[in-house]
Amino acid sequence: MLKKGKLKLPDRLGILVPGFEEKEEENGGSEPVFESGEELEIMEPNGVELGHKENEYEFDDLGVNDTVGDKVDAFRTRKRPDKNRSGQVSVMDVIAAEEKRSDLEHEFSQKEINLEKVKRIANKGVPDGGGLRATAWKLLLCYLSPSRDMWEKELTENRQKYAKLKEELLLSPSAYTRVRADAMISAELSREGDVAGPLKRQGISHGDHPLSVGQASAWDHYFKHTEIAEQIDRDLQRTHSDMKFFSGESSFSKKNREAMRNILLLFAKLNPAICYVQGMNEVLAPILYVFSTDTDEQNALNAEADSFSCFVRLLSDSVDHFCQQLDNSPVGILSTLSRLAKLLKENDEELWKHLEFTTQVKPQFYAFRWITLLLSQEFNFPSILRIWDSLLSNPFGVQVPIIPINF
Amino acid sequence: MGSSSGQSSGSYDLSFKILLIGDSGVGKSSLLVSFISSSVEDLAPTIGVDFKIKQLTVGGKRLKLTIWDTAGQERFRTLTSSYYRNAQGIILVYDVTRRETFTNLSDVWTKEVDLYSTNQDCVKMLVGNKVDKDSERDVTREEGMALAEEHGWTFLECSAKTRENVVQCFEELALKIMKVPSLLEEGSTAVKRNILKQKPEHLPASSGGCCS
Repeated sequence: MLKKGKLKLPDRLGILVPGFEEKEEENGGSEPVFESGEELEIMEPNGVELGHKENEYEFDDLGVNDTVGDKVDAFRTRKRPDKNRSGQVSVMDVIAAEEKRSDLEHEFSQKEINLEKVKRIANKGVPDGGGLRATAWKLLLCYLSPSRDMWEKELTENRQKYAKLKEELLLSPSAYTRVRADAMISAELSREGDVAGPLKRQGISHGDHPLSVGQASAWDHYFKHTEIAEQIDRDLQRTHSDMKFFSGESSFSKKNREAMRNILLLFAKLNPAICYVQGMNEVLAPILYVFSTDTDEQNALNAEADSFSCFVRLLSDSVDHFCQQLDNSPVGILSTLSRLAKLLKENDEELWKHLEFTTQVKPQFYAFRWITLLLSQEFNFPSILRIWDSLLSNPFGVQVPIIPINF
Repeated sequence: MGSSSGQSSGSYDLSFKILLIGDSGVGKSSLLVSFISSSVEDLAPTIGVDFKIKQLTVGGKRLKLTIWDTAGQERFRTLTSSYYRNAQGIILVYDVTRRETFTNLSDVWTKEVDLYSTNQDCVKMLVGNKVDKDSERDVTREEGMALAEEHGWTFLECSAKTRENVVQCFEELALKIMKVPSLLEEGSTAVKRNILKQKPEHLPASSGGCCS
């Protein structure tokens, strides 16, 4: 456990653990710092926001019941210490959440949005409901620009681009050839009017024949990607299998899995050096969930396209950790894990010694997953969303709050 | 990530390190969780490596098994290679409903073992998982037995879901390890080393064992 008295965090990290200083006194040094931070506490007031229950499944999955006390109990793992509050939400907390909500709503309605202000608010947790988190995350990932007037144009363009990419890359080669041919024929028809004479044969080059095994064959790529698709499918069956949003045989969960499959497959095709790495499903899940449960109907309908762009943006910050070739480079995962060990040594040498020498439990045994998946497999879902509010609002990138770069 | 189950008081006679390997999705983690906690829930894919500790009594000896569960995907192999070091037992798992997971044992996994395992006498065991899906079976029991025989491995078929043969996998492997003098010696050395390191005040209170 990190010891409070001698905890040394870089200033930047201090910014990311809101309420950290205040809690020092309140807890009287009896709790580990990570759990004592106020940051997850912010989940509780949001439970009051049942008036915003527009997407039934959203709250079902989050385990929100009729009372706030039940909601807290419904958290699946790591229940927080009670602190004599018996699950009650203090009036102050409710007021604070309401203030945050109105602050964000006000900011999002501005012609020119102050991104710094959004970061400051989001850092302390975006209130659930009303699509605030979806808009905040899109802004924080720079998917939406601060100029509100641009949003419609930007979103339309990005969504069209995604549809085009999907058409080009996710259809089987023959289907794509057909689509292209149909497009050409219809273009010719519209140019020449009624065409007399024999029907044209679709031209297939030798390299594009299904039985061709040449490296350049479109089918070769296609078969390779079928393997990847199978891997992705297997992992999607195992993604948050306790949540109706992701799991089960409902058409709703099937649609969500289909969207995730498209996004991951497209990412793999566009990034052949990285391809698909297990765990990407976990990183994508919170994004798709938040965007799909946006109360704005158009946004929810286009959640797949928006999630793709935001997933790419999010990974651009940490994609090196997924790349096997970079494992031993200064930007690879092993180097990041060494920085974590160094951070631990500085803050709690006793624990570091115990792990390093007595038990020989290296950081890669316990922290590899924390870092590559941005903590998305370590907590219950509501907490993941809350933690990501802070990670995404960090001015130095999502990895920094976990492992400061220049530490 | 790692967790222990059963007694953690350090009162055991032998300590063994066991490694689970095989393709992604064959049920390595499920097999481990089914053995440790008797639960059969759906598990998220393993990222990197995970480990669990289980104490049980086999052949009159109290054993502490540290079982390392590795990720199956190729990307993680360079990272997981170091886990082979000093393992006394390796369980090679395949899915009886997916033939490629079986052929990959010969094509990929035995090579990994040869390359990274530092222990010549290390006991290997072949385990065909998911026998509960009998209608989807793609690899026969005979084929499994033949492959095991070819390499001199122990062989079992099991189901992490129904728990059929799950405990037997680990018990049988432990028994085999105990029959190899060099491994037995290593197991006892690990215990001595551990006892020397433990300071009395750090000994946790002993809790009820779950399997002995």
